[in-house]
Amino acid sequence: MSNLRTTQLQDIQNMLEQQGYITDKSVAMSVFLSLQLNKPLLVEGPAGVGKTEIAKVMANALKTDLIRLQCYEGLDATHALYEWNYQRQLLHLKMTEHDSHSVDEKEKTIFSDAFLMKRPLLQAITHHQKPVLLIDEIDRSDEEFESFLLEMLSDWQITIPEIGTMKATFIPQVILTSNRTRELSEALRRRCLYLYIDYPDFEKEWLIVKNRVPGVDAKLGAQITRFMQELRLLKLEKTPGIAETIDWAVALSVLHVDHLDKTTIEQTLGVVLKEWRDTRQVQMSLSELMEKTKIHSKFDSP
Amino acid sequence: MIGRLTSLSKNIVQFCIFLRSKGFAVGVEEEAIMLEVLQFLDYTSYEAFFMSLKTVLCRSKTQWDAFDKLFREYWEQVSQAVDAKLKAETKKKKQPVSRQQQFSSLMAWMKGNKNKEAEETAAYSMNEALSRKDFSAVPESEVDELMRCIRNLSRRLAAKANRRYEFTRKIDLPDLRKTLRRNLRRGGELIDIIYRRPKRNRLKLLLLCDVSKSMELYSAFLLQFMYAFQQVYNRMETFVFSTSLKRITPLLKQKNFHDTLELLSTESDGWRAGTRIGESLHAFVEDYSRKLVDSGTIVIILSDGWDMGNIDMLQKSMKIIQEKTKKVIWLNPLAGYAAYRPDVAGMKAAMPYIDVFAPVYNAESLRTLTKWL
Repeated sequence: MSNLRTTQLQDIQNMLEQQGYITDKSVAMSVFLSLQLNKPLLVEGPAGVGKTEIAKVMANALKTDLIRLQCYEGLDATHALYEWNYQRQLLHLKMTEHDSHSVDEKEKTIFSDAFLMKRPLLQAITHHQKPVLLIDEIDRSDEEFESFLLEMLSDWQITIPEIGTMKATFIPQVILTSNRTRELSEALRRRCLYLYIDYPDFEKEWLIVKNRVPGVDAKLGAQITRFMQELRLLKLEKTPGIAETIDWAVALSVLHVDHLDKTTIEQTLGVVLKEWRDTRQVQMSLSELMEKTKIHSKFDSP
Repeated sequence: MIGRLTSLSKNIVQFCIFLRSKGFAVGVEEEAIMLEVLQFLDYTSYEAFFMSLKTVLCRSKTQWDAFDKLFREYWEQVSQAVDAKLKAETKKKKQPVSRQQQFSSLMAWMKGNKNKEAEETAAYSMNEALSRKDFSAVPESEVDELMRCIRNLSRRLAAKANRRYEFTRKIDLPDLRKTLRRNLRRGGELIDIIYRRPKRNRLKLLLLCDVSKSMELYSAFLLQFMYAFQQVYNRMETFVFSTSLKRITPLLKQKNFHDTLELLSTESDGWRAGTRIGESLHAFVEDYSRKLVDSGTIVIILSDGWDMGNIDMLQKSMKIIQEKTKKVIWLNPLAGYAAYRPDVAGMKAAMPYIDVFAPVYNAESLRTLTKWL
């Protein structure tokens, strides 16, 4: 970690790119500042633009562990922090029923580390080195959980009634992601640095495709990328992200396709679009889309 | 407001003040962080400087999008201020009070304060916006405010606890009976503990909205209300009626409010005609009530009760609706006025079958509605 002090912006960008994450200056800057200031980074943006990926890449680059907390509605402190292993505790008591230990001693044993099930947040705080803690899709959790998180993010400690307060051995590098399905509280935002990632432009996306799908035919890759760029301009229920572009490129190169044409697109549209209404809409405006992306089917033009 | 400060750090502090005036919630903490960032940043690079400010000072997508323009605006003004500063100072001292200014202040004194007048018109402007006929006049910001209100409301509706219990995997109330039962084979030793929690009532909502001529004044609000509710609350059906009944649930499911407005204005031929509440409710009872209504449904009727139709039919339909549903709420935009009495024939006929009668005409009244539900 100590060498990070001297790491500069360009180095961060290189570091991310070495891990296969194509990025731009704004992402590199956010990661850089987040590391330097040791502050959580809140990443927002549409689905499939690589928000979660940042955390994975950071963990790889820093050679540390990634601890992931997937948020969902109804997520509460017991699922995020810790839980006592009741069954084991009971069994233990049963087995030691005839021991001569006092009640106090017994209590001490059953409320010890051996019976504590650490959930992601506690894991992150008690980790043996500085981990990357990914709190994924925070907007899916309830407001109560968000408030609970505030306490942890500012003090870096957790209180367990039976044991006492556990202070963080290393302050984790926190990445929070959100799809903006719910507005996050101002208090949470204030504790984080902010980054918004949008859909990439053509050059960036093409680079990503090249990087992630090395075997892809150059002409096909460029066509796919251009097609996706146009596709995102349509009003779709669920706009496809980079993840879909990569999936498509992989699928087509596995099929040994070397260029796009109408039938190929129609047959493989399911890789990209996940709503039947979208599929129908794209099918109807397919010729127009192909016109725009300058893809000509060999059947269309003589 | 913007002057030139010699040191970079002072300039940053002033930039923060500038952002604050543009609605950014930039506190002292952010300023401190930014100054800290300067220590390890190559701030001679314009790009790095810009990006770091953006990362530290922005808090949301709106701010993220607005930042570029504000940044440019500020630093341009700073460079202009270099030249303007000296001139501005000398100008201030020598400027004499012009005759025009004297005259206008005299006029203001004679005729009362002009500013006050402006304030009053601002206060009335909301009514003006509501009375506009064009659907597109509805401002998006009001939709947001309304959405927030309705989200609270719908959460309360969805979270009403039942007296019965259901199984839960979370640690909640222990269910002793089931726990004992489950552990019988272990000789009654309690190893598996079963939990239960109060069952949540999943209420269905049904919105019947009057869009006749007499409600025109409130149409903007009604649209927002219907749209916001449908967006927030999943188990919901929406109908509009004037002389006939129409189901508009699918139209309101558009993600973008303006899309909804477009769709509605293409389909709203019968809007702002006369009102036949009785016939419309009858049609609802006949065509939809069997499928959409049960004892777990709350029916919300939004109407002023002005009726030109069959009063008898209105009464009968209301009776059926009340019997079939959990609760009938009648929201009346007129009921907000202190002098209002539900004397209209339609309203009078419906009154005995209404569980909650409340005024609703803006977001504020909606908030008070929460306590009725």
